[in-house]
Amino acid sequence: MANARILAVDDSPTILEMIKAILLSGGYEVITATDGAEALETARAEMPDLILLDVMLPKLDGYRVCRLLKFDQKYKGIPIIMLTAKTEEQAMATGIRTGANQYLTKPIEPERLLSAVAEELAKVQG
Amino acid sequence: MSNPADSLRKDLSPAEFQRFRDWIHHHSGIYLEESKVDSLRISLVTRATRLGFLEYDEYFDVLSRDEDEFKELMNLVTINETSFFRFPAQFDALRDQVIPEILEHKPRASRSFRVWSAGCSTGEEPYTVSMSLLDSVLESRGVRPEILGTDVSTQALDRARAATYPAKSLASLSQNVVQRWFEPVKGGHRPVKRVRDLVSFSYHNLIKEPYPILFTGNWDIVFCRNVTIYFRPDSTRRVVNNFYESLNPGGYLFIGHSETLTSISDRFEPVEIGGVFLYRKPIPKSEGIFAGTSFAKPVRPERRRTVDLSRGSRSDTPSRTTSADSGASAPRKRIPARPTPSVAPAPATPEAALEIDAIVRQAHVLMEQGEPMKARTQAELALAKDPRHIGALLARAHANADIGDFAAAVSDANEALRVNPLLASARYILGIIYLRQEDAQRALNEFKRTIYIDPEFVLAHFNVANLYRAQGSMDDACREYENALRALYLSPEGEWTAFLGGFKPDLLAKTCERSLIECRKGTTRR
Repeated sequence: MANARILAVDDSPTILEMIKAILLSGGYEVITATDGAEALETARAEMPDLILLDVMLPKLDGYRVCRLLKFDQKYKGIPIIMLTAKTEEQAMATGIRTGANQYLTKPIEPERLLSAVAEELAKVQG
Repeated sequence: MSNPADSLRKDLSPAEFQRFRDWIHHHSGIYLEESKVDSLRISLVTRATRLGFLEYDEYFDVLSRDEDEFKELMNLVTINETSFFRFPAQFDALRDQVIPEILEHKPRASRSFRVWSAGCSTGEEPYTVSMSLLDSVLESRGVRPEILGTDVSTQALDRARAATYPAKSLASLSQNVVQRWFEPVKGGHRPVKRVRDLVSFSYHNLIKEPYPILFTGNWDIVFCRNVTIYFRPDSTRRVVNNFYESLNPGGYLFIGHSETLTSISDRFEPVEIGGVFLYRKPIPKSEGIFAGTSFAKPVRPERRRTVDLSRGSRSDTPSRTTSADSGASAPRKRIPARPTPSVAPAPATPEAALEIDAIVRQAHVLMEQGEPMKARTQAELALAKDPRHIGALLARAHANADIGDFAAAVSDANEALRVNPLLASARYILGIIYLRQEDAQRALNEFKRTIYIDPEFVLAHFNVANLYRAQGSMDDACREYENALRALYLSPEGEWTAFLGGFKPDLLAKTCERSLIECRKGTTRR
């Protein structure tokens, strides 16, 4: 699924540029959003194949975006990978409760990010 | 900085230079003159380091076998282009502010006005200066200007004298400018006679001393843009020193818009005019007839830019004493590095100071861990004890910016800047806030100020590049991605890394390289 379309969400334009660069190098198409509300809107309008979601977002945080999408029959099939700096178990538990498919802790390694993306896309296809 | 033993030598031997030069010449037709040794060196270091080589020979092997790598290198080598009205804001400042100011302080008897364009390449810069001078008040005051362009490339000088420029050289100019200042000739356009008449050209090597008498005095303005990027610091210091000696008191040095003389020279007064940073040679006090006249206000003292974020404002006290006592230069109306505190005093005991520093360090660690709420609480603990603690103000500004409380973040960043106007991080935070508020112009200004304070603030270059790219200014974007890569090489562990949000510098380097390639293709793919 090399030309899958991925929605990358981060409020930092700097970090978004870097995430975009990684995904483009993996051959994916990339769309972006910079806050939770925009993420939700874009996800609903564009139906991306996968969402990379930062936790700390203005307006709606990443967990809430994730929960809203995962509780909606229409969008629950979109794999969501949460990007978080949190390492505590509690944060991990929150991530799983919100229904995220995976979470990656920072620092983000490009290879790890790409393999997580490929893995989730393969699950959807398979 | 990385350990020198683990990294590529920064010096390129003459034999190594020749080897690369010959290869490049044979394979691209581009002959790099001796003057390009620094440019080539920087390009080689950038590429070879990127690929992890510790020896130039190893890199040469790859270069000679891999055509793609050869293209990568050539892209870096051939960036030193020039154009008419490059960075127009500098020419606006020249025409509207600098020239009137210099005239005001010139002895009445003096009817000359001399501008030196050092490293003028094929002449675009001196001709642009000529156009700006013709548009200024000089003529109405009966002052006849003269402009001298110098370069080490005789080929470039021949082209400068011929003054015939192909259409693509004029592509970025408005129709109005072209009609006003150029005339069509065979092979392109050339500046009109009255523009050309003010300009003469001469061979001169900036790093060969002593300078001939022609160059050693009585200049009102020196243009030397982008030299500090291409020379090594010791060479740059000598060159800038020679400019200083060559300028009249009150004369101005124009350098590239992303360059700074921080750590190069503290003899000039930095001056900001309309967002452009310029350097003025101070007028000695004995020439006090100029006192109280309309000098543009110097922006700041030259001081080292790196700030230990965990340390409080108190730790600056010794340097304040030093700068006040140094008395090395002429009278300046400078903004003090640290105004007298108007709020609570710094902690009474060294123990209390250390305790606050520890709290602030913790706040910065929390920011790196992506915990802005906790970081903010921590910063507030420190600020309760020392309301002007720079590190604490910056930590809270950064946290508030992350949380999305932009008004509070701006207020903290500005407060930190009042304590010390030379905080690159505070400028950068302001830039980030404006960026998130989609105020591109203000963001751009703040990132440029960040670079002015700390030329190696990689993320500021990166953001400037992204903004230029979004505007469609691909040449400017390419240059800034390159500057980001250079800065990344020079300062891989600088203050800027606090803003990487958990990503590694290496990834930023890859992102810059990728963006650079895309911009060179002229694509704006987002």
